[in-house]
Order: sequence, then C-alpha cells, then structure tokens
Amino acid sequence: MAIADYKKYLAENVLNDRHTVTYTLLSRALRVHSTLAKQMLYDFHRNENDKKPGSVNATYVLTGVQNPPAPSGANSTHVNGDDKGDDVMQSSPYMSSMPNQDDAASDLVPSTSILLVREEDLEDSKATFQSVSSIFIYSLQATTIQDLNSLTDVSREIASTYAQEDPLECGKQWGMIQNKNVKRRTGTRPPVPAPAPPASSKPIVPSKRPAQDEVKHQVKPELKKENSAETSTRESTPASSKPTEKTAPKREKSNLFSSFAKAKPRQKKEEPVVPAVSGAESAEPSGPEDVVLDDASEEEVEELFPDSGKSASTNTRETRKEREEKLRKMMEDEDEDEEMPDTTEPPEEESKPIDQPPPKPAGLKEEVTVQGGRRRGKRQVTKKKTIKDEEGYLVTVEEPAWESFSEDEPAPLPPKKKPAVSAPKSKPGAKPGQGNIMSFFGKK
Amino acid sequence: MAVNPAENEFLRPPSDQAYASNLRETSYYNPLDTFKLPTGPERHYQQQYGDMYFLRLAKLKPAVERMAVESWEGFNIAGERARRVDRVLDVRQGELCWVAGTIYMDMPLKPNILTDLTKENFTLAPPPRRTYLDPSQPESTQIMLEDESGRLRLTGSLLRSTQLATGAIVAALGTENANGDFEAIDIKVPDLARQPRRWERDARPPSETGSTSGKIAFVSGLGITGTSSDTLSLSLLTDYLLGYTGSSSSTSSDASRITRLVIAGNSLGASVAVDASENDAVPKKKNPPKKYGYDASAYNPSPITQLDSFLAELLPSIPITLMPGASDPANLAFPQQGIHRAMFPRSRSYCAPPPTGEEKVEPGWFDSVTNPWEGDVEGWRLWGCSGQNVDDVLRYLDFTTDEEGNVNTNGDDESRIRIMEAMLRWRCGVPTAPDTIWSYPFQTDDPFVMQACPHIFFAGNQPRFNTAVIEGDAPFKLNGGDTEMTGTDDTTVGPRVRVLSIPTFRETGELILVDSETLKVEVVKFGTFSGKEDQQ
Repeated sequence: MAIADYKKYLAENVLNDRHTVTYTLLSRALRVHSTLAKQMLYDFHRNENDKKPGSVNATYVLTGVQNPPAPSGANSTHVNGDDKGDDVMQSSPYMSSMPNQDDAASDLVPSTSILLVREEDLEDSKATFQSVSSIFIYSLQATTIQDLNSLTDVSREIASTYAQEDPLECGKQWGMIQNKNVKRRTGTRPPVPAPAPPASSKPIVPSKRPAQDEVKHQVKPELKKENSAETSTRESTPASSKPTEKTAPKREKSNLFSSFAKAKPRQKKEEPVVPAVSGAESAEPSGPEDVVLDDASEEEVEELFPDSGKSASTNTRETRKEREEKLRKMMEDEDEDEEMPDTTEPPEEESKPIDQPPPKPAGLKEEVTVQGGRRRGKRQVTKKKTIKDEEGYLVTVEEPAWESFSEDEPAPLPPKKKPAVSAPKSKPGAKPGQGNIMSFFGKK
Repeated sequence: MAVNPAENEFLRPPSDQAYASNLRETSYYNPLDTFKLPTGPERHYQQQYGDMYFLRLAKLKPAVERMAVESWEGFNIAGERARRVDRVLDVRQGELCWVAGTIYMDMPLKPNILTDLTKENFTLAPPPRRTYLDPSQPESTQIMLEDESGRLRLTGSLLRSTQLATGAIVAALGTENANGDFEAIDIKVPDLARQPRRWERDARPPSETGSTSGKIAFVSGLGITGTSSDTLSLSLLTDYLLGYTGSSSSTSSDASRITRLVIAGNSLGASVAVDASENDAVPKKKNPPKKYGYDASAYNPSPITQLDSFLAELLPSIPITLMPGASDPANLAFPQQGIHRAMFPRSRSYCAPPPTGEEKVEPGWFDSVTNPWEGDVEGWRLWGCSGQNVDDVLRYLDFTTDEEGNVNTNGDDESRIRIMEAMLRWRCGVPTAPDTIWSYPFQTDDPFVMQACPHIFFAGNQPRFNTAVIEGDAPFKLNGGDTEMTGTDDTTVGPRVRVLSIPTFRETGELILVDSETLKVEVVKFGTFSGKEDQQ
C-alpha cells in the first residue's frame, strides 16, 4: 500500500493543520486495514519524534487484565455466606443446593479492560495492569489532548464524511469482523446528503445502493430500463390522463411514504408512474410481481431525487393546500390518532411483494385505484333494500351494490374527480370506540 | 517497549502483510412475542386491573399448592393437623391451616391514587422514591394475603425475615389469632417453573465441533445524551465489537465470537425528557400555529440520532436486540413496546419487514423488542428486563439496614441478585405491576407470570455488575456438583439459571459477555485512564 501516502497525509493533517488523526480516520481516508493504519501511526510517531522530540503526541489503547481494585472483592463474599439464613427461600429444603462455589466464582469473573491512555500516562497505566494483551496507538495529534472526549469529534467527523460508504462493502477492507448472515432489506437508504443525480431521462441504475441487490431479491435491470424509458416517454404526454383503474398487484402500494413526503415530489411523480406501470404491464409479458417490485424500488429512488424536469404548476399548489387542510383535520380529529401507528408504517412495505389483499370488510369484489398517493376503490357489497311490493307488503331484498371506499385519510377530492368517492363513512378501520360496559360486567 | 508478540503487532512499521478477514459466529435467535401488545383498535385501556391479579392467582395457585402439599402434608403441631383452606376468608380462628393467595403490601410511602385524590393532589406522576418503607414507623407496613374472596392480614416474626412484595403468590401456614390476623409460621412460593431444554424451540443447528463457542453480549444504560462527553467509551465499545481493538492473534477476548448484542434499556440519557419539559416551561407564544409533527424547539434529536448511528455502525457486523428502558422513547407502561423503527432512519434497513397479516415474520437482524422480553438465543431461553422490576421490588424491601443494624450500601447489589432470585421463585418477573409499576391492563393473560424458567435471567441498568447461578431442586440427584448445562441431559438436572445484573454502561463502562456453551460470564470494561492531566 502506498507507504509514502500516509506520511504525507499525516504530515499535512497532524503537523500542519494540527488535527487529530485516529486510526479509524486514517484507515478510512487511505482505505487500508485498521491494523495497517495503527502501524502507520506508530511509524509516523516514531519517525517524527526521532527528528524532533515532542512534535507528535499519541494516545494509546491498552487491552488487558487490570489489577482488581482492592475494596470491591471483600464485601460481596460475606453477604452470600451467612446472610442467606433469612432469605425467602430459607424454608425451602433445597436452598442448601444453592451453590456457594458459584457465588465465590462470581468474584472471579474474568474481566478485561480496554483503556484509552495519553502518552504521558502510558507507563502509569501499564502499572495498573496485570497483563497487557495488546497496545496500539489510537490517535496522533500535535500536542497533548487536554480532554480525551475531544476525540469523539473525530469519530463524529468520520461518521459524517464517510457516511456514504457502505459498511457491508468496505468493512472487510477496514478489518471489521465480517458476518455472512447479515440481513439488510432493500428500500430507502438513510438520508445521506448526496448530490442528486438528474433522474428524469436516463435509466436509474442503483449506483447509490449497490449492496442491496446482493442482499435480497434481485431487481431485473432490463426491466427497469424499459420501465423508466416508458416513464420518460409518458412524461411528454399531458399529465391530465385519468388514472387507470388497476387490479391486485398494484394495491399493496399504498404509498404512505409519499403522503408523508413533501407534496411536490409526490404530485410530480405519481401521475407518470401510474400509467407507466400499467403500460409496462401490458407491454411486458413477465410476471406481475416483477413489475411491482421494480416499480416499488424505482419509485423510492425517484422519491429521493425528484426529477426537476417536470413542471409543477397550479396542481402543486392545490395539493399543498389540500394537504394542509387534511393535516388540520387530522389534528382536530382525536380519533385519528389511533390510526396513526398504521399510517406511519414506513415505506419499506413497498419493497416487498405481497399478494395479501387489503382488508375488505364486506366486499365481494373490489377495484382499487391509486390516486394522489391514496388508495381508493370500489367494492361490491350486499345491501339490504326494503321495498313495498305490489301487494303492499314490505319486502327486504339483498342485492349487490357498488360502494366506494378509500384506504387512507378522507380528503377533499381534487376537483376533476367524480364526487363518487365519499370517504368518511366507508373508512375501513373501525373506530376503537368506547369500551362496551358489558365487557366490564362480563367477567369470567 | 516490546513485551510480548501481541504488543508488537501494532507497534511496528507498516508491512505489506495481507489480512485475513475475520468471520463472526452465527447467531441463533428466536424471540418470543410474550409481551407484544395488540396493535391498533384491539388495545384497550378501559379494563380493570383486578383481572390481572385474578389471572395470576389462577395460574400460580396450583403450583404453590403443590409445593405446600409436598411440605405440609401431615404437618401437625401438638396433635393438630394442618388443614388446607381454599379461600382466605374461610380461615377459622385458632385453627392450624394453610391458604394460598396474593401478597399485598400496604406501605406508608407507596403511591396511592386514592390518597392523591383526597388530598386533591393531582400530580402527573409520583416522584420516584428510594423506598416505600417508612423507617420511623415500621409497624405501618402491612402485609396481606388476598384472593378473590378477601384479605387476611399476616403477622408473625417470620415476615420480618422474609422478602415479599405485592403481587407474589404464596402459601402461608399458620393460625388466625385473636386480632383476626394470620400468624404465619411458614411461607411457600411456587419455585422455579419448568425449564425448557436447550434448543427446545429450535432445530439444533449442526454442531460444528471444530468451531469455538459463541458469546452473547449484554449492555444497558448507554445513556446517550448527544453531548460529546458520553461517546468516548461508546466509540471504544464500537471499535471493540467491530473487531478493531483486538489483536488478531489473541483469542481469549476475541470479539468475533460475540454473536449477538442485547441492549437492555436506557439507551438514551435521561436528559432527553428534561429538555423537553424545560421547553414546556417557557411561556408559549400567543396562539402558536398548529403544526403537525416535528417541532425543533421542543425536541432535541441528537441523542436518538447518535443512537441510530451507533447501531448502524454495529449492525453490519453484529445482530442487535434492543429493549427500551425507562428513559427511552417508548410507552411508559409495562410491557414497554419496542422503540419504533421510524426513530432509526439509518438502522431500520436491518429491521424485519413490517408484519403482514397473521403469518409470523422472521425476526429482524436488528430487533427492537419489548421490555420485558423473552426469547431464545443460541438455544437458551432468555428473560430480561431493563431493570424497573428489580428497582421497584427493592423499594418494598428494607435492605439498607441488615440484621446487625449497620447500614450497608454495598449489600445493595447483592440484594438485587436476591430479588431476581426471588422473582424466579415467585415465577413472576414483574410482581409489582400493576401495583407500583404502570402496566397495561391485561384481560385474558398475565404475561408477567413466567411459564418457563429461563436459562439466563437479566436485569439492566443496575448500579453494579453481579451474577449468580440459581438452582432449583433436581428431580434426581445431581451427578457432580459443577456439571455444565449441556442441554442433552437436562432431564436429570434441575433448572439452573444464570442471573445477571447488568450495570449501567454510562457509569461503569462495562459490557457483559456470556459464553453460549458454558454460560460463564466475563466482563469487558471500557474507559479512559485518568492520568496526571485529569487529576490537575
């Protein structure tokens, strides 16, 4: 590995800029194994101090067994020995089987200490150890650190600077203990401040999320390409196209994330996505899960990087107003709070293809539309109808009827939509309601 | 400076040596949903708490009566045989008998909603007390035995030397005296429940004979407050768990053998809540605009952000089970439900997928579980709590002055272990819920009753580390006192429980490791050496 590099790096950072460099920072910056980074720190420390004593100061980490502090060993033995007599279990004959040797052993619990030590205190602290199993340089700095806690600023800096690097990939390089069983789900990466690539025209390659493909289900790249191409062609057409009514696989995408995101990207994104997928469905003969999968993951990418190509005009403003209205309603309506946990289910839901249908309380059939981030639909229910027949009798007939429902928050409809969706009465989640008084009396 | 070869590994000029990657052992993990509350509209809070006591008594009465029959069958004093009485109200004066019921302790300083109401003292929450006892008037503490029929006051010298707390189910032998009090001469508890075999719920993994045994790591009370002062030992802990600290040659404290980290509560420092309430004290602006969600002025996000990055740093290498604690953003009433993954934007990709319908999902790599929590790790049954249960029972008991009358504070951590042992023998992990620990009003089941005796019983956020092994009576004679729990011949060995009191990391810097074969314990301590600079 570039030996000269680290000298230059350390000279610049430690000597010139008077920064603190820990081995973690060095191994991240130079992309070397942590052991190597420790050795580099040691080498630099020795060389510089040979040239000019006291020019570089170090902190060490000592690992080993410390001498037990004198007082703590004494008190715990006697309590077990003779106080046991007044225990609650005293009467139990088997109490004698409570192994005393184990209590004695509890004093002998092997203890390892990992101590961070200043260079000046190194010999002092070594004296407190029975045996030292390892010692390495934790950090180098130009002068003695007054407050060791300032070292955490370095790790914080590391956390922010190298947040982009996927630990699953780079960990091996740094010397992290690898775990072959690690499970990570696809879905949104943590909100890392990253430059947003323009997502509009070119196919979205998951460059930001390289590890996810290997972790779980595979996203077909070709499909993705085609789908996004579809998206871009559709974008040129006016967005006023009515959302197509769609069936099962699309339903799972209740798109909660978008309802929590800012109104702007949602509005921009939703409309192209819906027709695009339906188009892809018809064009692409492959299984429907692939489409859902693909769509879900792509959508999240778009969410992160809203394409700036689309024009957001009056539509956006309207939605925002609408949303504000919605939020106010949500806050005023206390019962809605109960629903919140459900709604806040994170968006990862989308990344999983689920064939499970949404709750349908009485429905025989249903059709669901996703529109504006909300799930709407119609379902067939049997309704009782009482009519007077020709002889004057009242006859009750059950007949199927279509009823509209919405999964999400009832909201004032966008003006272009038919007024058929009258949400509040058909909200599926029954309100928790007051406890029935009978449940109080009906004790077993 | 060279003392031993391991020391040399890092203190030498860099070489071109290639480093083999270290692989972590597999973790076998199968949590139980004992303490998961129903979600959404099925979670009601209108029920009465009385049902919980009823259920507890119904569950544990047969067990305690079996114990009582075993030891008191044919017991007689001066020709009078001890008679079994079914209900506490059926106890007749002057008659030697025994009866089973729930302990209820009436104590002067115990929070009491009725007293608060009569004093028109509507505080939000009673201030935490060190003890509910009033040492100036010890007679004001009353211990009663109750069942569905009524209550019976217990007296007798035995009570002074017996540890009891509200909610424990016991059987008492004695007579009712002229005052109508029950003079107890012996008390029985249900004792340890049946202990499952190792790997009882899981298929035993193919035992790789060559591989070394794993370790389970426990930590509690990380106490992240978001300030820089608390994170140094935390970053040492991170480095250790990720394997940056250990030298590749040493195997004894090799972090790659740690298969799972269990965080037992109080991951966030207490000042989170304090900050918020301080902000509340500031007079509100006139007619503040109603704002939904995040309000930066009333909420300090840095502790949870730091916890998130701490977890996200560890998760690529080690699976984590996270339990909430008293100071964590979870519900306060027991059982505390897991901290919601929305709190962890970076770590949540390691969570299990959200539950879909009825089918059971595989536990996540990062599992945010309930407190208390029960589950199988490496085949062993674990039962743990973030420490509120032990802290609260301790308030019922007077350990500050022992029988010699001298105040010992060091005995405190010993008494905590004894309380934990008592809980195991009461078969009730949180006996004082719902009396003095806030609890969900369970209606059909009391999950705090231990159906099965765990192998590892831990309580977090204790002042000091301590451990013991508790043994139940063996059906057969033990062959050799110090047999390891091998799991195969458990039928012949009585239950053995490793009890751990896990110290607060923020104060002690201690991480507890339990060997997954022998259940032997070791401690790793992180800290800084306060040398000359600090002492000045």
